[in-house]
Formats: sequence, C-alpha cells, structure tokens
Amino acid sequence: MTDVLATLSRDRIFYLFVAPFAALTILFGVWPILLSMQVSFTASATALRPNPTYVGLANYAAVLADPIFLASLARTLLYTVLSVVANLAFALGFAILLDSRLLKRGSLFFRLAIFLPVITPDVAGYVVWRWLYDRSFGALNAFLTLLGLPPFGGLSSVDTAMLAILIAELWHHAGFYMIIFLANLSIRDRALEEAAHLDGATTWQRWRYVILPQLRPALVINTVYALIQFLKTFTVVVVMTKGGPNDQTNFVSYYAYQLFDQARYGEATAMATILFAIVIGLSLTAYRLGDREPGQ
Amino acid sequence: MNDDIRPNRLLQALAYLVAIGTSVLFLYPYWWMLVSAFRPTRNILSSPLRPWPETLNFQIFTEIGRIGGVNLSTYVVNSLVITTLSTVLGVIVTALGAYALVRRPKAPGFSLVRYGFLVTIMYPYMLLVIPVYLVMFKLGLLGSYAGIILFLALGPLQFFLFEQFFRKIPNEVIEAAVIDGASEWQILTRVVLPMAAPITATVALITFLLNWAQWFPIMVISRSPDTYTLPVALLSMNSELGSNFQGIMALAVLTTLPVALLFLIAQKRVMEGMAAGAVKG
Repeated sequence: MTDVLATLSRDRIFYLFVAPFAALTILFGVWPILLSMQVSFTASATALRPNPTYVGLANYAAVLADPIFLASLARTLLYTVLSVVANLAFALGFAILLDSRLLKRGSLFFRLAIFLPVITPDVAGYVVWRWLYDRSFGALNAFLTLLGLPPFGGLSSVDTAMLAILIAELWHHAGFYMIIFLANLSIRDRALEEAAHLDGATTWQRWRYVILPQLRPALVINTVYALIQFLKTFTVVVVMTKGGPNDQTNFVSYYAYQLFDQARYGEATAMATILFAIVIGLSLTAYRLGDREPGQ
Repeated sequence: MNDDIRPNRLLQALAYLVAIGTSVLFLYPYWWMLVSAFRPTRNILSSPLRPWPETLNFQIFTEIGRIGGVNLSTYVVNSLVITTLSTVLGVIVTALGAYALVRRPKAPGFSLVRYGFLVTIMYPYMLLVIPVYLVMFKLGLLGSYAGIILFLALGPLQFFLFEQFFRKIPNEVIEAAVIDGASEWQILTRVVLPMAAPITATVALITFLLNWAQWFPIMVISRSPDTYTLPVALLSMNSELGSNFQGIMALAVLTTLPVALLFLIAQKRVMEGMAAGAVKG
C-alpha cells in the first residue's frame, strides 16, 4: 500500500513538469484547431457570435465547388511536386559533392554558404529576392542584359512567376535538406564501398547499389519535411507576389488567408481543414512508402 | 580509399567550379542587399550591378528612424525582448515537458499531450495562426507581448531535440539515484540537468534563430505596430506604395545581420542540432 502511495506521489511531480507544456499545447494548438474546425461548420456571418448558426457541410460544399479554390489546389500540388523534386535533387547533389574527396579544402565554406539562407529571416530573404527580380532595380535582369541574354520575366510574368518563387524558396530551404543528407552520408558504412570496390564495382555501381540505399532514411525524412513545407507555402507569396500575376501563385494557404481577411470565416476554415487532411494524408503515405523495405 | 578512386585533376577542377559558382549565387543576395543599403535609390536604378557603394554613408539608418509611426529602435528592442523571452520560456517549458513525457510515457493523459502536440505541428502553421487570433481575443491577450511570447514558446525541433536526448540517458543512471534515495526533484536538478547543459545550449540557440525570423503570428496577435518586430516592420515597409528602396534594404540588413553573425559564430552547433532534431521527426 505504501508502495502504491509512494509511486503516486513520485508521479505527481511529473504532472507538475508537464503542466506548462500541456497548457501551451492545448491553448495555442489543440483549442485553436478544434475552434477552426467548429467554425468551418458555421455560417460566416455568425461564426464569431456566441451562438453561431450551424450549416453542416455547406462551407465544404461551397469550397469544393469554387473554381478559384480548385485551381488554387491544383497549382499548390503542382508547385509542391516541383519544389520537392528540385530541392531534394539540389540538396542531394550538393551533399554528395561536399562529401566527396574532390573538394579537399573549402568544404566548410561551401556548406555555410548554402546553409546561411536557412537561418536568414524568410521575410528579409524574400524581400531581397523580390527586388533582385525587379525590372528596373533588379540585378538579375541587368546581369542578363549585360550578357546579351533575353530578360527574365520574374514575378510579373504569368509564365515565370512560379519558377521565380520556386528559386527563392530553394535558396531559403535547400540547405536544411542538404545537412540531413550530409549527416546520413557521414554515418554510412564505408566498409561496404571498400568491398564493392574490391569486387570491381564501377563508381556508378557503387553509388547506385551501395550508397544510395543507405541514404533511404534521409530521403524519407526530407521528402516528408519538404512535402509539409511546400504544401503550406505562404510567406514567399505574401512578400513577393500577393498571389499574382493572374492567380498564378495563389496557393491554398494564401487563398484561405485572403478569405479570412474578407470575414469569410466558414470557407477559410473549411479550406484549412481540407489542407490539413491533405498534409497528413500525403506525409503518412510518403512515410509508409519510404519505411517499407525493398522487396517486402 | 585507394589509387584509382583518387580524383583526377579535371574532375576536381569541375567540382570546385560548381561549388564556388553555387556558393557565389547563394551569397550574392546578401552582398547586393548590403551594397544597396548604402546607395541612394536613384543610383541603384541607373546601375543595379555596381559591386560596391559610391560612398560609405550611414545616413539611411537615421532616415528610417521612424517606420509606420514607430521608432526603429522600438522594433529592435521588440525583436530582442520577444525573441529572448520566448526562447527562455520555450527552453524551460519544453525541457520539463519532454523530460516528463520520456520518464513516464504511460502516465494517464501523457500520451494525449504528446499526440496533441504532434497534431499541432502537422497543422498548416499559417492557418493555425488565424484561430489563435480568436483564442488570444478570448484570453484577453490580443495586442500584448505576453500573447506573442507564449505563442512563440513551443516548436517541434526543440521538443524533438530534448525528447531524443532524454531517451538516451541510460536507465541505470536514474535508478542509481533512486536507490541512493534521491527525490525526483533532486534527480532532475542534480543528475539530469547537468548532463543536459550542452543540448540546452543548442536548443536555446536554434530557438533564438527561429523565433527572430517569426512574423505572421506577431502581425496577427499585434493590435498596432507598437509590438512589431524587425521582420514585421520590414514586411509592412515593403508593402507600402512608392517604397523607399534603399530604406527597405537597410532594414533587411538590420533584420538579417544579428542572426547571420550568431549563426557564423556557432555554426557547428546550429547545423548539427538542426539535423539531429529533424531526424527524430
């Protein structure tokens, strides 16, 4: 009996330890998420009143029938796929380069150069990029003109706006994926490569069949992180394009925020819930697919 | 390894070309920002590529002394105070929380707390901030420093780093202390915390860097520019029509320089910590 009491009183202190963490999680995580879901079932005009009018799934129906939302969702998915592929390809390529014996000196400098944008406040980074792309102030087009190349449409052209923000976001994010690949490369089993080499494997074969399979953990983590990251793309749009030109960069996060700004709370929160479901669904799928051992 | 994997000269030159070229492209925006902060707007218009300023003139920092009716110094102080306090609070709360969740994973309610946290970090951040506005309103924290600091305190990377660290403490270490008759409070303060000093420094550093960059929650929770930090001020200055280009670049320099320097001083800790925190996720 005294044992049980002693255990209980020993446990009590852990509740004390966890209490502030739990309080912040509930107040600024769980509660707002539930609130958002609740609002998504109410009529916007009454959403913030003590007794809102519940409209069932009407907001979801309205959102799913909204051609702007559907176009925005399609563009968000396209942008996400392009960004994930571009970021991971760049990060993996650069990590392999830095890890190789080709760069004897300066490896730390290169690593710092690519990682610095990760800790640079995104607003500041994107503000600079916005002006780099500018037709009259920008260094980019001045440089292209100097080389005698045609100007880059940047943020003002329908054809290039998405590419322009993809480059700026790659600049900001790729360093993070790179250090995860580098961490994975540094813990790989080098004896396997030695063995492959003795067996007469070519450089390509060593990479394809010995090193790449060992990078699976980093690939899975980076894919999940990048999926979540780019599905939520928001800051770069606010700073650089405001969704334009002609809705080309009007991604779901930004569109939902605009609706919220227009007091269309019901639809905005319905969109938030839909995006949340897509984020969870896609990251779980990526995780499952990645976790499965080959041949299973 | 051995001879025939030894890189040949041509390949090596190519590798350096790619590495240097990419690094220059990644660093050029910083240089352009810095140079533009010291050049009058009309000079940038006529020659955007000039690699250094005509004169080294710090006048611009007095010219942008007031932005949106608030002193520049207020934004600087806000950035320092909000980032520092949210970092200190976040480190303490997250360390204690993660420690309790690791030591007593089966205590009633604990797994619920953990799942609540995991769901929160999956939720699209920008869309979480909107209902947080309603919560802040209900709690009477709208427009207050307290509301901003409390919201910024928790983050996924911080939690995973602590959780990972506490999991690696061998059970025997704790059991030995229990057998010696130590209370849980003594185990925490005399055994666990001294061991956790390096990881605490890493988490504090990373939290500071991440929270310095925050802007959206601060903008949403604020009622006036009086509680804005540097990134929020920069964003609102950038959104103004007929913007002062040189001023924007000067403010971008002020926003970037402190964290860039901090990162360069502690780069190893930051990069290793961020990689480790992510791998857990």
